[in-house]
Amino acid sequence: MATTSCREFLAYLEPWMEGERSPDAQAHVRNCPHCSSVIKDLEMIRTEARSWSASEQEAPERVWTLLRAQLEQEGLIRETIPARAGGSAQAAAPRTGWFAGLFPRLPRPVLAGAYLTALVAIAFALSGPVNKRVNEARWLKGTQISTSPLSAQLNFAEQNSNSYVTRSNPVVAASLHQNLAIVDNYIALCEKSVSEEPQNEVARDYLYEAYQQKADLLTQMTERGENVQ
Amino acid sequence: MARTRRIDTGELPEAEAIRLAQQGDAAAFERLYRLHNRRVYSLCLRMVGNTAEAEDLTQEAFLQLFRKIATFRGESAFSTWLHRLAVNVVLMKLRKKSGNESSLEELTEPDEESGGPRRDFGGPDLRLSGSIDRVNLQRAVDQLPPGYKSVFVLHDVQGYEHNEIAEIMACSIGNSKSQLHKARMRLRELLHEALRAQAREDRKAASAETGGKD
Repeated sequence: MATTSCREFLAYLEPWMEGERSPDAQAHVRNCPHCSSVIKDLEMIRTEARSWSASEQEAPERVWTLLRAQLEQEGLIRETIPARAGGSAQAAAPRTGWFAGLFPRLPRPVLAGAYLTALVAIAFALSGPVNKRVNEARWLKGTQISTSPLSAQLNFAEQNSNSYVTRSNPVVAASLHQNLAIVDNYIALCEKSVSEEPQNEVARDYLYEAYQQKADLLTQMTERGENVQ
Repeated sequence: MARTRRIDTGELPEAEAIRLAQQGDAAAFERLYRLHNRRVYSLCLRMVGNTAEAEDLTQEAFLQLFRKIATFRGESAFSTWLHRLAVNVVLMKLRKKSGNESSLEELTEPDEESGGPRRDFGGPDLRLSGSIDRVNLQRAVDQLPPGYKSVFVLHDVQGYEHNEIAEIMACSIGNSKSQLHKARMRLRELLHEALRAQAREDRKAASAETGGKD
């Protein structure tokens, strides 16, 4: 139990943890197992908390995607100054990585086939006549051709992930399903935008981005499910 | 097609990114986001203990930052300014959640009934040694009043100094030190309570087992 001198030590405890150790306080701690145990506890709490910073994670990519969409909507940002944009080759480089990383477990021929389909669809749409309406219809069709294999693969992956994630912690599973519902809503919004403005490059880009987010999330769900097995 | 992909902002220095972002440059915004999102997201995650909410709060903090970036004059460090916004966003959220419009003082100076630390540390001497791990400490942090939680996360987890926390939280350095101390003492109490509850459970399980054998 706390003694009078322990109560007095309380006044020294805060500065003690900040490194200010008066001779009186040091003498008390040397002779009081109770107070030295309190100090040990507080130091352990501090040490454990410090170790957390090593495991800090980046926010998921969808946070930036949604933030950027909001910034564009509010007219707060404009396109990068071309001289400093880093060149189209650099900017385009991650897209290949994204597609390859979309379904890491799928065989490469399937990936290559889907990628080829997307390229053919885009090339086909681009080669159309100048007539705006015909062109728009082709853009829409092209986008559909390029996205429907992705959509089908995502649905297939979702079924697999669901079977994995149901084995994990129910709280985690609920949170993942909630996130999945958010991403699905986002995809629906993007698909609507693309169907309304098939030639809008930004709308199409957001749609691909939304698919990417879903793929990331499904991968995460599968990994969580595997970890609990 | 590559418009929303990560734009290569390379080694663009923070000061230059701030200047360009003040002109509305998209890549500069992204650079600032990439530089700081990890710390802001971690702060939010530690404060609310939920990834979906932490994502929303991170987005909101950066949104507020980018809305106000034209007014940034560099009187304080950019990261301090950003963290102040983030902490305010989180505290606002927690206030809304608790259903009242309590002041920051109330959030950092709870009375003893609502979770403030006791004025002494008497009681049975259970040893925490070996019983503090990430899970039970996070559980205890989740139970801290928001003001204590902010100072604890900023200082003990993220490594900010008291003068920086004072700027972030708009309080005095002495106040920051005192809140941190109270937060740690409250955490100790919560961890002890958890330990005692665990010990009770273990005893109950043991006596049930013994009773079952008789």
